Amino acid sequence: MIEAHNNQWLAALAVELRRCGVAPDLAHHVVHEVATHLRDSGEAASQVFGTPAAYAAAVADSLGPSTGIYQARRPTGQVRLAVRGVSKRYGRRSVLRNVDLTVRAGEIAAIVGANGCGKSTLLRICAGILSPDSGEVFIDGRIGYCPQEGGTYDFLLPDEHFVLVGAGRGMSRDQAVSDGRRQAGHLGWDARERVLARHLSGGTRQKLNLVMSSLGDPEILLLDEPYQGFDRGTYLDFWDQLWEWRNAGRAIVVVTHLLNHLDRVDTVLDLTPSAPVTGVGQRRAEP
Amino acid sequence: MEQERRSQWLRGVLDLCVLAMVAEQESYGYQLAQRLERAGLGVPGGTLYPVLLRLQRTGLVEAQWRESGSGPARKYYRITAAGVRMLRQASLEWTEFVGQVELVLRKVATR
Repeated sequence: MIEAHNNQWLAALAVELRRCGVAPDLAHHVVHEVATHLRDSGEAASQVFGTPAAYAAAVADSLGPSTGIYQARRPTGQVRLAVRGVSKRYGRRSVLRNVDLTVRAGEIAAIVGANGCGKSTLLRICAGILSPDSGEVFIDGRIGYCPQEGGTYDFLLPDEHFVLVGAGRGMSRDQAVSDGRRQAGHLGWDARERVLARHLSGGTRQKLNLVMSSLGDPEILLLDEPYQGFDRGTYLDFWDQLWEWRNAGRAIVVVTHLLNHLDRVDTVLDLTPSAPVTGVGQRRAEP
Repeated sequence: MEQERRSQWLRGVLDLCVLAMVAEQESYGYQLAQRLERAGLGVPGGTLYPVLLRLQRTGLVEAQWRESGSGPARKYYRITAAGVRMLRQASLEWTEFVGQVELVLRKVATR
């Protein structure tokens, strides 16, 4: 009984620590230390450590400022992507109406909203795959686009994907393969395996997609719910990776319907029709 | 009320007490919790570990993960040279402070 409670509590603590901006390796140590304490003492976590959120806050507090790698900072980077007054209709149905969005270097913008509200459409317009009916998109830099599905080649190996995409971005074979494998490693995937893409699991295919989009370090990343099929651990790795890219100065747009990470993005654009109009992405309070 | 006041006092000196116990012997968290308990200064883990983190951050203790003979790896805390200096200084100040408080309060107790 207690063990189940404690395990649940520890999992929640890991999430809360991340939310508080505690760096992943340190968070891991904190969780491990609590776990050994509980195993030694046989106590119930909530009785000696309070709620996961309160304990995570106490830990973050004791670590002082600027220990986390996710410290929000004012965007000082140049504008990489500017969407101005974009509208799009499919037949009689208006999907996007006068949408604005600005993303600078070193920023993550999240596009959120209900199914069918035009999130993917907007991303495809940003990627230049689809034309808007009206409005403009300004791009400053190279684009890496990760579609929601598809994008991989059934009869190619992971390495061959890296070479193919790398070639388009002026990378040598060796460099493309080694970069691709390294990025895959960050997502907990060993891409050296000689398996055709069509035999990869859905989650692994998405990792392949994500790695391809980021090969060659494009300045702008457009990611359309790239984490589908990821298990929980990989999902958190994915967000770690996003923050690293952000801190390295990339401009990132990520389509998501999961709201629990919105406190870690710089701009939120809600496309839900009832939402206060698709104006400039609202800026969230910095943590 | 009594309990409340006591925990307030403890809050003011807990880091020193923890530091003193680490100085006595390199220990991991749960050992320290037990030793504090035996000394009549028991605090929940939720209070103890943030204190240890703060001591570590300020360089008064250092920590090392080590496998123990049986169980899982544990984080052992050891006092640093800076910790020893700080502890010595703070103990003197504390003794002086307690002396002053005692002087004031003794009059009340013997009245």
